[in-house]
Amino acid sequence: MRTTLSLLVAGVVLLAALPALLSAGLLIASIQMLIAALFASAYGMLSGRAGMLSFGHAAYFGLGAFATVHAMNAFGGSGLLPTPLMPLVGAGAGLAVGIAAGWFATQRSGTTFAMITLAIAELLHALAPQLKGLFGGESGLSTMRAPAWGLAFGSTIQVYYLTLAWVLLALGLLYFHSRTPAGRLTLALRENAHRLRFLGYDVHGLGVSAFAISAMFSGLAGGLQALSNEAANYAVFDAGVSATVVLNSYIGGVGSFLGPALGAALMTFFGYAVSDATQSWLLYQGVLFVLVMMFAPAGLSGLFGAGARLVERTGWRRAAGVAALVAGAALLLAAGGVFAVEMLQRLCSHDYRALAQAAAGWPAIPLLGRPWSPAAASTWLLPAALLACGGVLTVAARRRFGSAA
Amino acid sequence: MSDVSDEPILRIRGLRKSFGPVEIIRGVDLELRAGERHALIGPNGAGKSTLFHLISGNLRPSAGEIVLDGQRIDGWSPQRVNRSGLARSFQITNIFPKLTVFENVRIAVMQRHRLQYNVWRRIERMGAIREETGRLLERVRLQQQAATLGGEMSYSGQRSLELAMTLASDPQVVLLDEPMAGMSSEETQYTAALIREVTAGRTLLLVEHDMDVVFSLGERISVLVYGQLVATGTPAEIRSHRGVREAYLGEEHEA
Repeated sequence: MRTTLSLLVAGVVLLAALPALLSAGLLIASIQMLIAALFASAYGMLSGRAGMLSFGHAAYFGLGAFATVHAMNAFGGSGLLPTPLMPLVGAGAGLAVGIAAGWFATQRSGTTFAMITLAIAELLHALAPQLKGLFGGESGLSTMRAPAWGLAFGSTIQVYYLTLAWVLLALGLLYFHSRTPAGRLTLALRENAHRLRFLGYDVHGLGVSAFAISAMFSGLAGGLQALSNEAANYAVFDAGVSATVVLNSYIGGVGSFLGPALGAALMTFFGYAVSDATQSWLLYQGVLFVLVMMFAPAGLSGLFGAGARLVERTGWRRAAGVAALVAGAALLLAAGGVFAVEMLQRLCSHDYRALAQAAAGWPAIPLLGRPWSPAAASTWLLPAALLACGGVLTVAARRRFGSAA
Repeated sequence: MSDVSDEPILRIRGLRKSFGPVEIIRGVDLELRAGERHALIGPNGAGKSTLFHLISGNLRPSAGEIVLDGQRIDGWSPQRVNRSGLARSFQITNIFPKLTVFENVRIAVMQRHRLQYNVWRRIERMGAIREETGRLLERVRLQQQAATLGGEMSYSGQRSLELAMTLASDPQVVLLDEPMAGMSSEETQYTAALIREVTAGRTLLLVEHDMDVVFSLGERISVLVYGQLVATGTPAEIRSHRGVREAYLGEEHEA
């Protein structure tokens, strides 16, 4: 308990110190990470704690964003609320639409529920470009942050602190919710809704309230995004946005409170860091998701728990050995996999085919500042060797882990 | 006995239930007196569980009426039936397996305090809820296992847990569906004594296959055969009832 608390304090201090440590570009990425973390936490509250797998959470995120833009543009640009309070409009929109959508969606559970949420989001995505006044058509809507409370909100640093404050407050409220009677009941809803009925509970009402609260925090995240981007576009309703929050949450692990936030922050960071360097980012995201689901279904945050149990059973030294093996294996497999994928991706590109035709052969492909000939065995032996070494380490780690367990 | 206690707390009249062309409950009339322990027996497929589902709101009757304490409840939703004072357990254990024993009972307790939409107070701060949960656990002797996950309890432990959850709404009428199914004879004895103890002052309707339990626990017994009640009476009356012996008890004793 004490270690958890001190870790939390250290985390918050680190987040507060980030503007002094990071470049402007990275600070913008950090804002996106915070927003994605909040969105994933709101999603995790519904899918992890209440057991309702929504495939259309982009709807509430997006409506929060658009509502906030409209509120910022209200009264000729002077705004409905002072700028720091603007995300409340997004939260309100998420809550209101969440109650309505949740009323329909939670009539059913399981696959039917997932399909209804998907349909609602797709409906918005199809409708939004037609409603120019509301969603600004293809080009979207833009806005300006108005100065408030003696602050201009012109600099990234001010936006960062505003986002950080809202995200921390919202995460605190979501955690508080998990300790309230309503929050405890969401667990029971996941475990056995049928039994709840015979304990006198209105299961539909409970479902709607869990859905609406999750939608409210999603809308808040959308509002923060609008505030940060000073714009909103109907692309925010894209199925990809709904899918990303699912992947992020499950990669991080919906079983623990901070898991989804961790997954979202990590994946957003990788997306930022890697998307310029590769065209295969979505592929890596998908592969990572599949691997996590297959080998660590509790998500990355579940690895911490597994690590802690290992330490408890075997002591620090052996656990550190296993952890080093696992990390080494992951690194080698990732290096081999990425190398192979990048080579293949370049080899199959239109540019290369045109080049190959012109040269009537197999010209070398530059990668990592070195030319690699696709015809040379060494080019393919390198990733194969990396993957093989990674495989050997994986087997060794499993043996070690098995004998420790 | 006063006149008031002769007034039935639960009255079923002309109850019928069909699934398509098949009629499972074919006109049942049954009255439960306030405070009695009433056992329902009958061969497999007689419709005992269906009758329970009809009374508790899990199924909607095709015809007939169910009156609980002067109020018609047939066709009501399960939660509405529960809130008007009738709670049930299930033949197959029906708990929240990944929550602790304490939390299982606490969730059952919260309903009566109308806390389902409370998002502004921490549950740990609610002393009354904690105490009530603790008392219920004590009554079914599970206070030692309060921190165990429901799904990790022994079979009879889970049945005791269900009993505590069923009692949490402080119901007037308790329906228990085969509470001893799958238990060893020791567990059966223990559970029978527990049921007798915790349902004191309430009206109990019990479905059970163990005849020793039925005849010791039931103050009155009703026999359901192919969707119809063939007899209702005291254990002695049922034992000597000719139709029952032929239709049911005889077969059982030979088997």
